[in-house]
Amino acid sequence: MADTTATAGAGSSGTRSGGKQSTNPADNYHLARRRTLQVVVSSLLTEAGFESAEKASVETLTEMLQSYISEIGRSAKSYCEHTARTQPTLSDIVVTLVEMGFNVDTLPAYAKRSQRMVITAPPVTNQPVTPKALIAGQNRPHPPHIPSHFPEFPDPHTYIKTPTYREPVSDYQVLREKAASQRRDVERALTRFMAKTGETQSLFKDDVSTFPLIAARPFTIPYLTALLPSELEMQQMEETDSSEQDEQTDTENLPLHISTDDSGAEKENTSVLQQNPSLPGSRNGEENIIDNPYLRPVKKPKIRRKKLILKQVFNSVNVN
Amino acid sequence: MTPTGLEPARMNRKKGDKGFESPRPYKLTHQVVCINNINFQRKSVVGFVELTVFPTVANLNRIKLSSKQCRIYRVRINDLEAAFIYNDPTLEVCHNESKQRNLNYFSNAYAAAVSAVDPDAGNGELCIKVPSELWKHVDELKVLKIHINFSLDQPKGGLHFVVPSVEGSMAERGAHVFSCGYQNSTRFWFPCVDSYSELCTWKLEFTVDAAMVAVSNGDLVETVYTHDMRKKTFHYMLTIPTAASNISLAIGPFEILVDPYMHEVTHFCLPQLLPLLKHTTSYLHEVFEFYEEILTCRYPYSCFKTVFIDEAYVEVAAYASMSIFSTNLLHSAMIIDETPLTRRCLAQSLAQQFFGCFISRMSWSDEWVLKGISGYIYGLWMKKTFGVNEYRHWIKEELDKIVAYELKTGGVLLHPIFGGGKEKDNPASHLHFSIKHPHTLSWEYYTMFQCKAHLVMRLIENRISMEFMLQVFNKLLSLASTASSQKFQSHMWSQMLVSTSGFLKSISNVSGKDIQPLIKQWVDQSGVVKFYGSFAFNRKRNVLELEIKQDYTSPGTQKYVGPLKVTVQELDGSFNHTLQIEENSLKHDIPCHSKSRRNKKKKIPLMNGEEVDMDLSAMDADSPLLWIRIDPDMSVLRKVEFEQADFMWQYQLRYERDVVAQQESILALEKFPTPASRLALTDILEQEQCFYRVRMSACFCLAKIANSMVSTWTGPPAMKSLFTRMFCCKTCPNIVKTNNFMSFQSYFLQKTMPVAMALLRDVHNLCPKEVLTFILDLIKYNDNRKNKFSDNYYRAEMIDALANSVTPAVSVNNEVRTLDNLNPDVRLILEEITRFLNMEKLLPSYRHTITVSCLRAIRVLQKNGHVPSDPALFKSYAEYGHFVDIRIAALEAVVDYTKVDRSYEELQWLLNMIQNDPVPYVRHKILNMLTKNPPFTKNMESPLCNEALVDQLWKLMNSGTSHDWRLRCGAVDLYFTLFGLSRPSCLPLPELGLVLNLKEKKAVLNPTIIPEAIAGNQETAINPSSHAQLVGFQNPFSSSQDEEEIDMDTVHDSQAFISHHLNMLERPSTPGLSKYRPASSRSALIPQHSPGCDGTPATKPPWSMELARKGTGKEQSPLEMSILHPVATTPLSVFSKESTSSKHSDHHHHHHHEHKKKKKKHKHKHKHKHKHDSKEKDKEAFTFSSPASGRSIRSPSLSD
Repeated sequence: MADTTATAGAGSSGTRSGGKQSTNPADNYHLARRRTLQVVVSSLLTEAGFESAEKASVETLTEMLQSYISEIGRSAKSYCEHTARTQPTLSDIVVTLVEMGFNVDTLPAYAKRSQRMVITAPPVTNQPVTPKALIAGQNRPHPPHIPSHFPEFPDPHTYIKTPTYREPVSDYQVLREKAASQRRDVERALTRFMAKTGETQSLFKDDVSTFPLIAARPFTIPYLTALLPSELEMQQMEETDSSEQDEQTDTENLPLHISTDDSGAEKENTSVLQQNPSLPGSRNGEENIIDNPYLRPVKKPKIRRKKLILKQVFNSVNVN
Repeated sequence: MTPTGLEPARMNRKKGDKGFESPRPYKLTHQVVCINNINFQRKSVVGFVELTVFPTVANLNRIKLSSKQCRIYRVRINDLEAAFIYNDPTLEVCHNESKQRNLNYFSNAYAAAVSAVDPDAGNGELCIKVPSELWKHVDELKVLKIHINFSLDQPKGGLHFVVPSVEGSMAERGAHVFSCGYQNSTRFWFPCVDSYSELCTWKLEFTVDAAMVAVSNGDLVETVYTHDMRKKTFHYMLTIPTAASNISLAIGPFEILVDPYMHEVTHFCLPQLLPLLKHTTSYLHEVFEFYEEILTCRYPYSCFKTVFIDEAYVEVAAYASMSIFSTNLLHSAMIIDETPLTRRCLAQSLAQQFFGCFISRMSWSDEWVLKGISGYIYGLWMKKTFGVNEYRHWIKEELDKIVAYELKTGGVLLHPIFGGGKEKDNPASHLHFSIKHPHTLSWEYYTMFQCKAHLVMRLIENRISMEFMLQVFNKLLSLASTASSQKFQSHMWSQMLVSTSGFLKSISNVSGKDIQPLIKQWVDQSGVVKFYGSFAFNRKRNVLELEIKQDYTSPGTQKYVGPLKVTVQELDGSFNHTLQIEENSLKHDIPCHSKSRRNKKKKIPLMNGEEVDMDLSAMDADSPLLWIRIDPDMSVLRKVEFEQADFMWQYQLRYERDVVAQQESILALEKFPTPASRLALTDILEQEQCFYRVRMSACFCLAKIANSMVSTWTGPPAMKSLFTRMFCCKTCPNIVKTNNFMSFQSYFLQKTMPVAMALLRDVHNLCPKEVLTFILDLIKYNDNRKNKFSDNYYRAEMIDALANSVTPAVSVNNEVRTLDNLNPDVRLILEEITRFLNMEKLLPSYRHTITVSCLRAIRVLQKNGHVPSDPALFKSYAEYGHFVDIRIAALEAVVDYTKVDRSYEELQWLLNMIQNDPVPYVRHKILNMLTKNPPFTKNMESPLCNEALVDQLWKLMNSGTSHDWRLRCGAVDLYFTLFGLSRPSCLPLPELGLVLNLKEKKAVLNPTIIPEAIAGNQETAINPSSHAQLVGFQNPFSSSQDEEEIDMDTVHDSQAFISHHLNMLERPSTPGLSKYRPASSRSALIPQHSPGCDGTPATKPPWSMELARKGTGKEQSPLEMSILHPVATTPLSVFSKESTSSKHSDHHHHHHHEHKKKKKKHKHKHKHKHKHDSKEKDKEAFTFSSPASGRSIRSPSLSD
């Protein structure tokens, strides 16, 4: 009875998914596996003496069985990888079962029990095939230092670059012109937008829209915005630092006064102004031995309570 | 007459004396300051001080300390409760009821009030009576410990709280507090002896929130948590004897940076600014090394701290072992312009650590030595760091400044001597304030004073050589450090005080040279020298006939006698001649050396040994003279106006290697708009070896010349092609290269040239269209992406350039300015300004330089009538919460608006801000700007000038600014600019005729007014020799009895109060003193009579003279006049009257006291009594007016 219900259930689910069969082979494969499991559960139930079972409980048991088997597989794989193998061995499974609290010794006896039911092997379904991706070119073979079981290189088009050589823009003027007007447009648009969305001030009483000024808003800590370089500037500084005023990108921008041979005193004067970015390299090491009173730890109050209490009382008197 | 605790005779110290005599009858050896509660929310401070004091006289019964603002709870001496009186006459200088409104009166009263509590004279606001139980103890000269509990609530000066109104704890909000003030202002935040001459060791304790750091003087001994672990106590010890005035404090959630080069140096800044702090202070160790090397002396303190705080009072304030800086000096590595300025500030503060903090001064009149030395060694640092060119340029700049100031206001006196209370030789009669106290000085005067001090030090160096100069400094320092290590010999500590005489003595000891004439000329005397030079070449004799005239009659000038160097560049070389200046106008014959023919094509040797080729075609064929310079080394504080031909100036500009000479020739060439001048200037502009500042000023000169030559000018606008060649792309000359500021010289030139070009005008007096387009293109193509440095200053200057190009709008009968009739050029300018100003909101520039320039430019547009004049925008930018530079720029615009539009509303708004703004610097600055750009002046009719305004300003300086010396002096300056010295002309004639004003000049002729005018004349206090507060009721003929009565108890309210109480407190006289005291006070009285007091009753003569003066228009201030009069013009009647009253004085003295007690009810009906009263006032007058004379202040009234 139980059997029929189970099969019926399985059958119904099978037919239901049958419609999709053509569309999704992977689904189909999973369903077949599940159906087999249901049959197993049903037969086990029959073996245990049940005559019938509700569909929901069969499903639940199936689910449990599936998780249990999956867990054995997962754990076994972990054990195998732990010992640097790729294929699990019997001992991996055994260890897994032990770990999961299963008494392995009872297994042979159970396997040989008399009343066991034999279930027919599930119908052979094809392993789902991953759709073949477009292969462009030959995948690169692994270099010798990479073991062969490692995944293959991706398709070449994903990493190969083809440098293209465009004629360098000869018309400097056009470029500058473009950059300048672009920036100006962006700035204008941005400020106009800001002005439209916020409060404004105007120089003309009769017209507030032609020259809108974003209203002045006081800061709580005005010196921070005034002194700290803006993020843009910081970014810029990093860039220029890395490229160190890359002269080649801008041939027009050669320093005006390259001649450094003469103008003695004056040159020296300004060189003092030049920044001296390199602090002594060993600074971090030294930091530990610096004895500066402001770096010393703060002391715990002394235990001479009386005096302190007196002092506190005194303070409170003062406050009052 | 009971003796008081103060010894009048003791204070009578002479400046020439070698040792230092304390004006106090005790010696302070140690002071504890403990602040155990600081509340940022309520802005209050609670704490106590303990002074360890050794009496130096047996009968010490009262101790005077300085204290302002503090609420004193309790005073104990050696654990015994002590009675005390707290009185501060500077709180309200003249009392409200008084109808006095003339500045002369105020200045005298103010000076008197300041000297009444002047700690340098042994006075103070807090007077403590020694408990009688301790008298015996005192007589044995045993130690006294004075313990004072005090609190401060919302201090308006001395301590400044910065509490941003954001969420979070005080530390998270960046709240901080720091001490500040002008000169000795420590008394504003704890009771002390606030004098630079009273040194002692210190123990300082500050209990603050655990997240805060308290930075103070000396070594941080330990930091201990309080019991609840929520607070920390910072314990500082300062073992080097230090004056209270050099004690400071800064508390805040500071980030701490230990200097990587010198671990004993610690830097502090507000949260988030640490990267800037690192960069900014990375240079400090070099300054240290420099000073230690030249002074051959180690930095005197064991540690040094720099603290950078917001809302700073001044940019740099130096205190013992720590300096407080404005946080706005911090900058990142990308900033060019601020870097040298900040480094200069650091160097300045460090110089003051040696001279100013470690070495202190004996009295105010020795201040110039400290300021001079610190300024001088700072100059040496400048020379080493920025080079000789920069140094000489700076000296020239400072010299020009001081010369301009002295000629304008009439002299700066470095070493004022106030002998014997005779104010007839008042050294500062030309000024509207007293120079006897630092606290009465105008801020501008003090700035100039410092400037002159270091220039004079340089003159001394010129005279005795730098080596000796440094030896003298070293000697002062080593004496001081020996003295400072004498822990228990406090009498030795006076070695740490410098005095003028001591300094001069060491100079003569070290150098063996007599510099007395030099000192006499520049230190003991005010004024600068004004030379006019011209020359003729006598071909026959081959002699240069040089004529040098002097102007020593104008105010601020003095006569110079002595050597004067003249350098003559001839064809054969450069020759120095030293002329002796002896008379006013004198011709000097200087033989010429050159005989060579100049067609020989020889190279011409210059001063520095260089030989150059010159194109000599421009020269006068007969003369071998290329150029002449008078006093090339600036070894006289002078202004030289020298006449030589234009080609000589041009040669000087091109070939003279001294930057000062180049600068002078640029200035002179403005008067010669010729193609040759143009060429010389252009050549200089192009010459890269030339000092960048010279090239910058050449830009402006070229613009001026181009404008003068506008009709004959050929080619593109001046400097355009030059700029294109230097800074624009080769392929496309209208596009500027992308910014690269690696070469600072060209950076500065690139910044300046467009600004100068914008000043060019065409024949219609408009800025040429070409120039405007050029500048707009510069802005358009500006590209800073590849630059290592920020371009904020550059962009700001481009806006300045736009503003410079604006010319007055052509206005058709005052039409209203609207958008429709906007000039198209102005529209373009406005477009840029709008965009820049808006972008600033999104991407602010460093110190908001661009906003500042935009605001200025908008004001220029308003002023020129392109945009409707409206202060609303500026007022919003002037609000608290904007960056200080923006606020100042906006306020400047409002000040200008107030003047141009004569707006009473805006003036009121400004005045309101002066009183209420949270930032002291801004308050000070508004006053300063109003003084510089006043809405009206004393000789001007203005609708703004009305009685309410007079009352308001009077109130401001009289009582509204008592918490800030600088502010009060600023208010006095403004009052002076608006109304002058005498009674403001807008005031109605007072009922009783108290006026001296311009209108009255006519009125005086009316016989009915004359008597009143005379009475009034007294009130105007044109006689500074008598005590101003009292002048009003000294007149025996005065009909204004009621007025008198009021004055009597208002002006002297506080005085009477004190004396009354002191009398009650008075300890029975000790025998020695009681004998001595009456005699001394009497003797003080009688001789002073004639010089000091007799002036007042003698009202007629000065009055008539005053009129006479006005009539003839002679340039003499009323002050000078009155100074002269006691000797010269006092009529006999005065003497007789005085003599009677002095006769009376003795035997009426005792009932005088009764009068005083019931003065209000008691009507003086008898002339006799009345006279007596005035006599009494005279005495007080005298004692007040001459604190420096060393006699006891108030002693007569006290000893009644």
